[in-house]
Order: sequence, then structure tokens, then C-alpha cells
Amino acid sequence: MADTLETQLPRGRGGRVWQSIFRSGLGDTNLRRALAIQQNLFLHLASVKVRKRSLSFRVTWFLGTLSLGTFAILVVTGVPLMLYYHPSVPQAYSDMNDLRFVVSAGLFLRNLHRWSAHSMVLLVFAHMFKVFYRGAYRPPREFNWVIGVVLLLLTLFLSYTGYLLPWDQLAFWAITVGSNLISAMPIVGARIRFLILGGNGVNANALLRFYVLHCVILPLAAVAFVAIHFWRIRKDGGLYHGGSERHE
Amino acid sequence: MSERKDFVASFDSDSRKTAVRVAFVTRRKSPHVKVHDDDYVMTFPEALFRGAVAVEILALLLVLLSLFWNAPLEKLADPLETPNPAKAPWYFLGLQELLHYFPPVVAGVLIPTLVLIALIVIPYFKINVQAEGLWTRNRSARLRILALTVALFAVFLIAFNVYAVLIPTLLMAGFMFFAATNRAASGRFHRWLASKPLSFWIMSWFLIQAAVLTLIGTFFRGPGWSLVMPWSGDI
Amino acid sequence: MKISGKMASFFNFLLGDSARAFGALSVALVALLAVVPAADFLRDWRGYQKRYLRLVRGRSDATSLTRRFQPGLQQIWMPELGVVDRCPTCHSALREASLGDVKDQPFRPHPPIPHSVTGFGCVMCHRGQGAATTVEEAHRSTKSWEDPILPARYLESSCGQCHMERLTGTPLLNQGRQTLARYGCVRCHVIKSPDGVAMTGTDDPPSLAHIGAKTTREWIAAWLKNPQAYASSATMPNFQLPDDDIRDLSAFLIAQSTPYLASREAAPKVPTDDRALKNGASLFGESFCSSCHAIQNAAGMLVGGNLGPELTRIGSKAKPEWLADWLRDPRVYDPDTQMPHYRLDAQQRGLLMAFLGNKTDPDFLGNRHFDPPTSVQIDHGRALVNERGCAACHEINGVKKADNFAPELTLVGSRPLAKILFAPGVAHTLPDYIAAKIRQPRSFSTSLKMPQYTLAPEQVEALVTALLAQTERAQKMPTALRIPPRRASDYHAAGQAGRLMEDLRCFSCHTINGRGGDMAPDLTWEGTAVTRPWLVNFLKNPNTLRPALIRRMPKFNLTDAEADTLADYIMTVYQTPAFDRDSIDSSRFTRADAEHGKELFYGKYACQSCHIVDPDKDKGYIGPTLTQTGARLNAAWVFHWLKNAESLRPGTLEPVWKSSDEDARALSAFLVAQKIAPQTEPAKK
Repeated sequence: MADTLETQLPRGRGGRVWQSIFRSGLGDTNLRRALAIQQNLFLHLASVKVRKRSLSFRVTWFLGTLSLGTFAILVVTGVPLMLYYHPSVPQAYSDMNDLRFVVSAGLFLRNLHRWSAHSMVLLVFAHMFKVFYRGAYRPPREFNWVIGVVLLLLTLFLSYTGYLLPWDQLAFWAITVGSNLISAMPIVGARIRFLILGGNGVNANALLRFYVLHCVILPLAAVAFVAIHFWRIRKDGGLYHGGSERHE
Repeated sequence: MSERKDFVASFDSDSRKTAVRVAFVTRRKSPHVKVHDDDYVMTFPEALFRGAVAVEILALLLVLLSLFWNAPLEKLADPLETPNPAKAPWYFLGLQELLHYFPPVVAGVLIPTLVLIALIVIPYFKINVQAEGLWTRNRSARLRILALTVALFAVFLIAFNVYAVLIPTLLMAGFMFFAATNRAASGRFHRWLASKPLSFWIMSWFLIQAAVLTLIGTFFRGPGWSLVMPWSGDI
Repeated sequence: MKISGKMASFFNFLLGDSARAFGALSVALVALLAVVPAADFLRDWRGYQKRYLRLVRGRSDATSLTRRFQPGLQQIWMPELGVVDRCPTCHSALREASLGDVKDQPFRPHPPIPHSVTGFGCVMCHRGQGAATTVEEAHRSTKSWEDPILPARYLESSCGQCHMERLTGTPLLNQGRQTLARYGCVRCHVIKSPDGVAMTGTDDPPSLAHIGAKTTREWIAAWLKNPQAYASSATMPNFQLPDDDIRDLSAFLIAQSTPYLASREAAPKVPTDDRALKNGASLFGESFCSSCHAIQNAAGMLVGGNLGPELTRIGSKAKPEWLADWLRDPRVYDPDTQMPHYRLDAQQRGLLMAFLGNKTDPDFLGNRHFDPPTSVQIDHGRALVNERGCAACHEINGVKKADNFAPELTLVGSRPLAKILFAPGVAHTLPDYIAAKIRQPRSFSTSLKMPQYTLAPEQVEALVTALLAQTERAQKMPTALRIPPRRASDYHAAGQAGRLMEDLRCFSCHTINGRGGDMAPDLTWEGTAVTRPWLVNFLKNPNTLRPALIRRMPKFNLTDAEADTLADYIMTVYQTPAFDRDSIDSSRFTRADAEHGKELFYGKYACQSCHIVDPDKDKGYIGPTLTQTGARLNAAWVFHWLKNAESLRPGTLEPVWKSSDEDARALSAFLVAQKIAPQTEPAKK
């Protein structure tokens, strides 16, 4: 397989420019392949080698990878959407209309962002259940499971804060219903709700808060925790190799 | 864990030699290695490209979806005009469905908090780490406990008219009792169920429960949170 | 075998290992993403712009049309109104009058309107979603925008968002607003103008405080059963009450009724012979009662005005002793009535009572007979009065007028469809809902309280138009754009003449200084217009000025002193400041002037189309007869009238001639020369 790869990659990779970017060069030897991972800021979170068995679709269904993929799509679509969006009432809603009717590819960006967001929530849930059923949370991976739960919460909060931003009836009442649940908390409920919404109801302050949470705080937190999550996979001994009850 | 340990668990962090492996060998088990050695491949290119391909397939699907299916946008938010029903985002509709049955403190605070705590502590409880089938030991005692638990829970649910929880619970209990039956010539499915530990049963119950409640909340609830058919919802 | 082998090797080449698959999928993904801008390029509006250019190409003025055409998204943005209208993106020809023959939308040019299209945009009048650039979202009711394009027949409602006053261009809106007030809609429903002033009723529902003195319980019951059976023109709607409710309501109303301060004068002797009936009919006609009251003639046609109630079946309703008092002085029974105080002598009253008392309809009352009511029935009647909101219109002893009895309709034109429960068979649009609700309120729910009105289809259209003007946008409109209504003035004439004018209820028909009805001419400048001798004579014995009208000035039987008082007041006070009534001396008109005027009258101005100078020859019945102009009108008034009648009496039918001074002078000379003595007995129409 490595040979076929060799032949397909562009020839120019031996050149100086290429080497200035990818120091290690690519793929001729296992050393270089290892270095390609280890010397890359992003990839070095992963281990250099993986068990062949854990690459099988059956083992992970690639749910973790796909969750990361949706997150990447959301970042890529979210940033251009931010260019057209004002977190103010009722301008936010007019911006939705502008995105739909005037902005080039605005409708597509919004569609992709929304469907990816729903997919991400679904995939992260699925990932959690898959990890559980594989038993991949068992020691020594306990703590990574906890990180995963945190990432699940972050995903939910990201989705929930983003839900308000279009400022349409759907958004407003979904957030109203959701935030009313918080106020059911004894003693501190109403205060926490006030803190989250910046008022006693869903209003312009809530929109601004949700905007900042959705576009700055929660994505940064998610990136940090995703990094830890991936790093812990390596530190905890690589991808769980699929339950002792399975025979290859 | 008060009994005397007759094994030593240790980590070998030298990844050049071997990946970490922890073996539990108890007196009741003979050491038996089912898988001898793992084949390793380089992350680059094998794992990396596979992951990339998976993400690309997903991206293709999402792009196609976005080209043909527009994200919903309703009217400008109007605090004076409450839609009926007002629904939370879909992933909270299971909770909203519970809110229909239980007081807000229970459905909105107690249950989510408990679920969250339960999720976090999963890997730290012995029950979740055991891989032994539920019915392999103490079968009759466990059967009694299960029957009692299910009966009490069922009475509680009937008292609150929570059939959306009751029916999946009974279904799950049915499978558990089925798994508990002693059969000489049992089929593959029975053997598979019988090998499942308690953690499997609890998680599966939770999964089915969450799925059923979310589906009901999403598709089968209309004005005044009344039961409707999904296709008759849109007037 | 060979082909499948080739296929296999092809797939192997593309997807043989993960790196190949990655490459192939990357290409596919990039290709798919390239579709996105392509889809953007295929948007509807680009197609319409291309079609427009094709349409224009073949026309004679193609060059200028093409030059003026602006490609790309076009929008009218008015931040202060919160409007972004992108309609001109597809409606490219809005301002191209030369495309008037084009009937296909979206390329029809906009018809000329008093407003600039760019100054107000499109959705202010047409509704719809201005921000949208797709046909569906812009014009129809969708999830994101419920308010679709307004059907053209209700367009006048949009004018009503800014214009509170009566516009000449919006007859339907004006009629609708008038109907809301005239049929008492606004007595139950609060309907506020954007300036916060609630509309008030003009229907003048009678007080029921002394109903027992006026009529019988049987009549009340028959009336409640179906008011239109008593008088087809009755304002009161049908409450569709069951017979038991009617029994109890009538019992309660009679029980609550108190006696009024009846006259101690004995009722006049009522003759019953045929001659008296005939004389009574003539007196009814001579007094011009039919200016306000209609009576069904033998052919079933209503003849007469609608200011007062229809009298076709009055004999079945009014008690004789009440009728006697009423004819003597209506204000004894109802201090607020619009009915003038006729100075009728006992004999005249007797004749009228004979005539009116004979107007009975035994079928209407049927053979109703009620036993004396029980207290349970009366209590139930009281409950019904409260439940049905009778007191919203009528004064009833011991019952308070309920506030906010019915839903407020101030914002009904913006009511969200989601909040509406549609009856089966009603199209899911706001105009259809409102129309259906007005036509048959109970079709929505039998428990609704709104009664059944008898309205003509155009009245329903007018009401819908007026109600659709009650939008949120109207409430939020910048104050600078609002045109306030002309508020009714509470002008009262001073002194003895003032009291006399109230007694005669002049303001029921005439408007003076902004107060009063619109049935008869505005008298604000009457003192400038007429001569005193003619006025005195007219007040005492009104002859026919406008032969085409059934409604004429009634004969009040004024005394000389009363006529003098009124005439003095009118001649002194009701003078226009625009010119001096003595500025033109009619004695200096020459015969040549008058001859020239005659030529102009019959020639250049063709006045005979509407006016009569020579009763044998002229056939103009639209304007007043001019045979006695010289006796009636002042020369200066005639002169200025011919120059600009509208400035003297806004809303007059007389065209604004803007005639030259010479023409006006000559015509004045001709008209002032017309001094035929008034006929003693006006011709009956």
C-alpha cells in the first residue's frame, strides 16, 4: 500500500520549498512517516502507530473522527456567517433574510452550518454510546471518558447558544423553554437564569451573551478539550482495540 | 475489593516494545490470551487518510443536504406570541417530554443532574468495569432484585401515568428475564444477551428511554403538548 | 465480464486505497462545492432580468429602456420605516410608463399614484415580504413571513395606515370606516387610530330607559326575534336568540323601564276616517318627514331617508299616547334625539297619528302573548342583557356599559394567522377570515356572542378594507407621515338663535363650522350667499331647491319671530371672510351683460346640464333650480362661486370653473336677473 502511495504523491515533494514546510519529508521510510506525525503541531497529538485492528470501521464507526469533522465544518462555515451577522434585535433577523436572499452562497452557508450542527450533536451522542458499548471507557481511559462528557456538554451548549442567534420564533421560544427549565432549580435557579440570559427573559442581552458564548468562549473551550481528548488517547495507550470478546 | 489480591497490575510505558496492557488474572480464571499480538500500522498515512476519507464522505452528504434542504427560519421573534407548542431544540425534547409528566424540579433539574453525574462516574464504578454476564452468578437473588425493582418502578410510573417510560422499561426487563432463562440449546441471540453485564443493561435502558422520549417529543407532540400524528401536525 | 473487469479496475484506480480515495473524494467535494456559486447564479431573479431584457429588445424604445435597466439586486431601503424592498429586482419596469401594454407580471409598470414609489417602497401598500427575492417568499404566506401580498381589492386599506381623514381616492375605505361607526361595531370593539383615539359610533342607538312607555313587550319580543322583519333597514343585528331568552329579555326590559315625564296635555283626537288618513299622508309629505324616515311603498321599495328609523310598521310598535307626546316635542322622551322639534298643532298631530297609527303589520307581531313575568325570568333576562352586551349600545336602567366587551380590533390587520382558528371552508388568509367573521360570526363557533348583521357584499368588502388598515405598521408609523382625521367640532351657535337651532336640530342635516350632518348643504357661509327676504321666506315655507332630491328641508311651522331670529343670526354671523357680500352691486349689471351671460350659460359652460333656468326648456335636475337666483343669492356670492365654488363649500358638486372675471360677471348678471317668484306649492317628486 505504501508503494502505491509513493507513486501517487506529487513529485515535487523532494524540492526545497516542500522540505522547508514539511521537514521530515513524506513517507519513504517508517521513520519519516513517524516524523510526519510527530513533528506536526496538530498531528503530534496522535500516536505515530496505531493498531491495525482499531482502524476497522466496525470498531469505532469513525464517530470520533466524524465529530471532529463536523466541528471543522462548523468553524469553516461559522466564520463567514459571522461576517454577515449583527447580534442585535431585530437586525439579527434581517441578517438571516439577507443571508437567504442577497448574500452569495449565504443560504448554503447557513444550511450547511445548521445541518452540520445537528449532525455534530447526533454524532457526539453516538460516539459516547459506541465508546460505552465497546467498553473503551474502562481503565486506564477513565479520565478521557470524563473529558468526553465535558465535550458532550460543550457540544450541547454550542448548539443551544447557536439556536438563538437567528432570532426567529423557533429560536426565541426554544431558548425560552430551555431556560425556563433552569429556573426550576431550587433557590439559585432564577439567579442562574438571570446570569445566562442577562435579564429575566430572552431579550437583546441574551442574544449578545449567546453570541459571545457561541462564537468565542465555547469554541475555544471545545478546541482545548478536543486537544486534550486526542492527546489522552495516545497517553492512555491508543485507541481501544475492541473488546476481548471479539476474535479477529 | 477487600479480598486479597493475587495479581499485580502494572504499566509498561515503553511503547517501543509494547502498548499498554493490563491483565486481570483472578483465582477463578485461568490466564488465557485470546489475542496474541497486535499488528501496528503507521498513523501516517493509514489512519490519517482513512479519517480524512470518512470526514469527506460526511462533508459530501452534508453539502448535498444543504443544497437541497433549507434550514428552517420562522417569523421574527415575538415575545407576545407563544407558538403552540413551544419546543426546545430536539436534543432537549426528551427532557421536555418528562416535564409533561413530572414537576419541573424533577424533570428539569433532578433527572439531568443525575444523568450527568452518572455519565461522569461510569468508569469509576466496579459495576461498569466488570465484563461478566449479569446472570452468571447469584442468578436467583439477582432475579428477585430485578423483579422487585421493576415492579416498584412500574407502580411508580403507572401512578404518574408515564407510559412513555413504562413501556420501554418493561420491554427492557423482558429482555433481561429472557437472558436469565437457563436453556440448554440456546440460540446465538440468547447467548449474546446472557453474556451482557449489568452496565450494558442499564445503559441500553437509558439509550432506549432517551430515544423514545426524544422521538415522542419531536414528532408526536402538538398543540398543548397533546399527542398527534407527525403528518397531521402541520396545519 | 470484460466490462465489469474494467469497471473494477477503474474503481480500484479511484478508490483502491485510502490515499486514492482521499484524492478522488477531494475532487468530488470541490466539484460539489463549485455547484454552490452556480446555484447562486441560477436564482429566480436573474431569470426574470434576462426575460425583461428579451421583452424589451423588440420594442421601439428598446435603447432607452435597456439603458435605464439596472442589472443585479435592486432594493429600496427606508431605515426609518424598517423597510427593505427588493421587489424592483424582478419588477424591472415599475417606472417604465411606455410598457403600459405589458400585462405579464413581473414586468407591468406601476400605475400612476400620488406617492413616489421610491419614497414609500412597495410593501407599505402591497404587503408581502420586501426582503425576499423569490416568488414564493415575497408574495405568499410562508413560515418565515405570514403576511402575503394584499389582494388588489383591499389595497385601499393600506392608504388608511397613514391617512385617518377621508380621501377622495379611497371610497371603499371611507365607507368601511363609516360602516364601523354607523353599525355600532365600535361600541363593542375598541378600534383605535394610531393617534390613540378610539373610533366612536354614529348609529345613535335608542335609550331603553323608558321603553315600556313607548312600546309593548310583544313588540320587543318580535323585534328581538328578527329586527329586519320589522324594518329591512334596521341597524340592530339579529342576535339569533331562542324564544325563551327573548321572553325573559323582554320581561327584564319592561321591568326596568321607568315612566318618562309625559305631558299633561290630553292626547289629540285621532280621526279615523279615510279622509283623515289621506290628509295625514299629505301632511307627512309636506313636512318632509321622508327626508329622514323611510316607508315601504306598495311596490315594496323603501322611499325616504335613513337618518331616522323606518316607519313602515310604526303602528305596530308605538303606543298612541307616546306618539302624541313625541310629535309634540321629541325631546321630552329622548333629550338627545336628532329629530327636530316640529311646531305641529293638535289637529296636525292628530292627522299624523292617524296616518302613522295605520301603518301596522299584524303578521310581524304574530299572536304573541306573554303572561306576567316571574322574577326568575326577569333575573335570567338581566343575566342575558349582561351576557349579550346590550348595554354596549343601549342605555338600560340598572345595567352598566361593559368596557372591552368584545376583542379590541386596533391591530386586527396584523393578526398572526397562527392565532386564528379558521372555520371550515374559509381560505387561510386574513382578509378571508375577517370577511367570513363579519358575514357569519357564528359559523366559527355557536358560542360566539357576535350577532348576525345583514350587510350587502360591498359593505363587507368595505369593512374588511377598513379593518385591514388597523396594522401594527400603522401604529409604528413615524408621526410625520400620519395625516390626522378631521375631528368633529362641538360648535354651538350662540344666544336665542343658538337655542332655536338646537331645538330644530339643524345640525342633524346641516354642517356649520365643522359640526353637523352631511345630508344638507354646509351653512358656514350662508349669510354671504343668500338674501335675507328669501331666507325668511324659505325658513317659514321651504320650497324645492333641488327637484332631484327626495330629502328636502322639512317644514317646521316656524313663527315669524322665530324665522326673523334665525335669519338675523345667519345673515350676521355666517359671513365668509374671503370677500365682502356687498362688493358687487347688482344694480350696475347691464342688459348686455345679462345677454352675454345667457350665451355663456347655454354655450361655453353648458350650465343647463345640471341647472334649470327656464322650467319649460331646461332639464337639469342635478344642481339646484336657478329660476329664483336673483331673489335668493347675492351677486358677489354668485360671482365668486363661479370662479371657485370648492373654496366656498368644500365637496360641492359644482366644478371649479376658474372662469375669467368677465365671464363670471356676465353669468352673475344673467343669473341675478332670474327672479321668478317662488311657487307656493312646491312640485312633489
